[in-house]
Amino acid sequence: MELTLEHVSKQFGRVRAVDDVSLTIRDGELVALLGPSGCGKSTTLFLVAGLYRPSAGRILFGQRVVNDVSPQSRGVGLVFQSYALYPHLTTFENIAFPLRVKRTSRAEVTRRVHEVADLTGITECLPRPPAQLSGGQQQRVALCRALVKAPAILLLDEPLSNLDARLREATRAEIKRLQRELGITTLFVSHDQAEALGIADRVGIMDRGKLVVLMTPMELYQRPPSRFVAEFIGTPPMNFMPVQVAENGIVFDGAPLRHLPRPIPQGAYMLGVRPEHLHVAADGTLPALVVLVETLGRDLLIHATCGGVRLRILADPETHVGPDDRVRLRLDWDRTHLFEADSGRVVPFAGEGRSVQ
Amino acid sequence: MRVTPEFPSGRQIAARGAGWHRWVPGGYPALFLGPAGMVVAALFLAPAVLTIVISVTNLSVATGLSHYQWVGLGNYSQIAHSPWLGLILRNTVIYVVCTLILFNVGLALVLALLTAHLSERAAGVFRVLWMLPRITPSVVYALMWRWAAAQSPYGIVSQLLGLAGVPGRNWMNVHPWAFVISLNGFVGASFGMIIFSSAITAIPRDQYLAAQVDGASAWQQVWRITVPRLRWPILFVTAYQTLSLLTSFEYILLTTNGGPGFYATEVWSLYAFHLALSNYFGNTQFGLGAALAAILVVLGVGASVCYLRLFRFSELVSPPRIEVN
Amino acid sequence: MPVAAVRWRWTIGAVLLVLSAPIVLTYGWLVMASFSVRTTGLVPHGFTWDNWRFLWSTLPNEANAWVAATNSLLFAVSLALAEVLIGSMAAYALSRLNFRGRGAFLASTMVLHSFPSVTLLIAIFLILRVLGLYDQLGGVILVKLALDLPLGIWIMKGFYDAVPWDIEMAAMMDGYSRLQIWWRVMLPLISPGLFAFGIFAFLSGWNEFLLPYVLLPSQNSQTLSVLMASLSGEEQYADYGLVTALSVFYILPAVVFFALTQKYLLRIFTGGVKA
Repeated sequence: MELTLEHVSKQFGRVRAVDDVSLTIRDGELVALLGPSGCGKSTTLFLVAGLYRPSAGRILFGQRVVNDVSPQSRGVGLVFQSYALYPHLTTFENIAFPLRVKRTSRAEVTRRVHEVADLTGITECLPRPPAQLSGGQQQRVALCRALVKAPAILLLDEPLSNLDARLREATRAEIKRLQRELGITTLFVSHDQAEALGIADRVGIMDRGKLVVLMTPMELYQRPPSRFVAEFIGTPPMNFMPVQVAENGIVFDGAPLRHLPRPIPQGAYMLGVRPEHLHVAADGTLPALVVLVETLGRDLLIHATCGGVRLRILADPETHVGPDDRVRLRLDWDRTHLFEADSGRVVPFAGEGRSVQ
Repeated sequence: MRVTPEFPSGRQIAARGAGWHRWVPGGYPALFLGPAGMVVAALFLAPAVLTIVISVTNLSVATGLSHYQWVGLGNYSQIAHSPWLGLILRNTVIYVVCTLILFNVGLALVLALLTAHLSERAAGVFRVLWMLPRITPSVVYALMWRWAAAQSPYGIVSQLLGLAGVPGRNWMNVHPWAFVISLNGFVGASFGMIIFSSAITAIPRDQYLAAQVDGASAWQQVWRITVPRLRWPILFVTAYQTLSLLTSFEYILLTTNGGPGFYATEVWSLYAFHLALSNYFGNTQFGLGAALAAILVVLGVGASVCYLRLFRFSELVSPPRIEVN
Repeated sequence: MPVAAVRWRWTIGAVLLVLSAPIVLTYGWLVMASFSVRTTGLVPHGFTWDNWRFLWSTLPNEANAWVAATNSLLFAVSLALAEVLIGSMAAYALSRLNFRGRGAFLASTMVLHSFPSVTLLIAIFLILRVLGLYDQLGGVILVKLALDLPLGIWIMKGFYDAVPWDIEMAAMMDGYSRLQIWWRVMLPLISPGLFAFGIFAFLSGWNEFLLPYVLLPSQNSQTLSVLMASLSGEEQYADYGLVTALSVFYILPAVVFFALTQKYLLRIFTGGVKA
């Protein structure tokens, strides 16, 4: 089932929570909506679910416009952040609940509940009430309840945020596996980029109601279309150095940094470079003063200042630097990005040119 | 395992949507609110309006329902010029002010503060004890107080005072106000006590511990920490109980009935009741009684609206999170 | 608040006991006198069952205690059922449904729930006479229902508000209509509160005096409260034995129910309002 949003907006009084969002999710695809709090991602989810009506635009399931279809009739499964399990029913009854309204036969109900419980591995929880289950188990019950009615579309509202860190990783993989196996079109909402980038086929980033970009995770990481996206994706976040483009190239901190063969319009820009693309090297072009060295185990995270800018460098654990050391930094120029300083728009830049020593 | 999704067909959606509630104007809200709305409109709102309407007539047993006349503000001017007005107003003020300050707020505060220092079980016992007057039927409660005040050899007050050599009398007749205020107060105190108690338990313990570490005595702790936190609850109880006292008269009716003698403890609401609904003077006057009641009705509506603003009830109302019904 | 030091606790307890003495003494007397031939003050003279003879014979004023008790019971039970059913439906609508005029309904509930309904007695008396519902149990039930509903709706709305929105949303996604959600999900979830409220409504009806006094005057339709008032009316009436026995008979359900649902009722008595 293909899910399409055409210029969908949602207004609450004076606030526009969702602003002209258009996207298409292909059949069987898993799309994540990522963004800071209040960006409108959950509202978008509820619009698809039918709990809210769009102020403008259309929502289509396949070819059918479902704007006026009640949430009860949409055939959508929704997993809530808080799981929203019915406390007065056993786990079995919780999962069976969507089937009971359709007057399914008892045998059929039992079969389908067991089928979906086996899929997620909670069969032994079935006779117990939700209060007796752990967080991870409750989450899987919520998932079962959404899946038992064989929905055309699956919606997940921050499904992992209430789990502890270790469980999150395992459950993430589980959800991906299930979704692949069942081939259900899925839309899920998260504020955790590791989660979103980890399992989604495509990721949509939302900011203040607008859908800023919709791309595959790798494209987002390697070729961010704007400063906002570049800053949002990646942990530790990308470094930004304010630079000027003058007639002979890029100037940073008053000193020419790189000659440019191809002219770029002159003006103020931000040079973006990820921590793993900065290296401590004796032949580096940037002088820097080390402020702090964090041990991450697999890497070292070096905080340094250079030209008044705080930089983060992901380095090999063998790198021997300490606070107050003066070092030189080398950039991987083919992995840098240039953004216009005021608009944040990315400027095509393949790292060409020659560095100035 | 590939799942074939069961998306309902267009026809199925249309069929399910033709539920009966689609055809009833108002749908689900009408179904849920309808019965309550109708009952309240007919027997709460309508009487409120009717009270004001009757108050501008001279409706009474004498005129019946066919011979009454519109007298405009006649009843109101009759009240304003009545020789009893001063007395009734004075009684009402004494009743409301004394009961409020001494019992509904005063004693309630004392009880709440005292029980807060006891263990949970002991406090619970006293709380139940003080709820007894409220859950007792008014007739029985009035009876018990009338007994207590009765002349010897029956009443306990007489008995106790008799030990001190005071001759036994019917104390309710001698000091009617003391009794009226006390017995109403014992019922009223429980409301304030519960509100103040829950406000006190809401104060974080850490504040007291910090004060103790700083060397504050128990009195200082109560004065500096507890009492300031009770400002809003006290205001709240005062506001609600003032309105409640102004319009209540059941207990007075059942004990002194406005006496002894002529209007010794007759308050405004009781006066209205007597005029319109009891055979005190034979000819019950609905119009006049309604005028007295109408003044209370207007006061009541005004006060309730003030509470809305004052206690910011509108903040408790937030829009529903699901748009569709 | 930290519990006071032990020596203070006894003083506090003593003070509270003195303040509560009138309550203890009066209720104690009530029970004692109902089994005594005579009491002078607090001292009973002679144990007897005779005061309780109203249980099997008619009272001095020709009334039958059981008839009155049945009227009171009918009144209280019907009131409780009606209030719980109608009130909980209205409260659900105000708490959860989205409709135009919701604000107006909420505002009027808030204004009405603290309104002194006793002031409307005169108008109500006339309305019932005109409608032919005067001296009819049904009429009085409807009146009490109307007067108590705003407060009841206010309280029950509080119960619904405590249930997370997620659950309602989940039930809608599961395909249930609002009516079904109310019946199968919401009511079970608020049932303890509803039950306590039902008890509260029952007590309110059982103890009601003023409305039956004004609107149910005849002997066949009078409630226990009115019966008691007419029996203990005169000042000189000194047969406290009979009257106290009847009182204990009357007061018993209230005390029993209260003891059973104490904690919840305490919260309800203050109208569910936060300090």
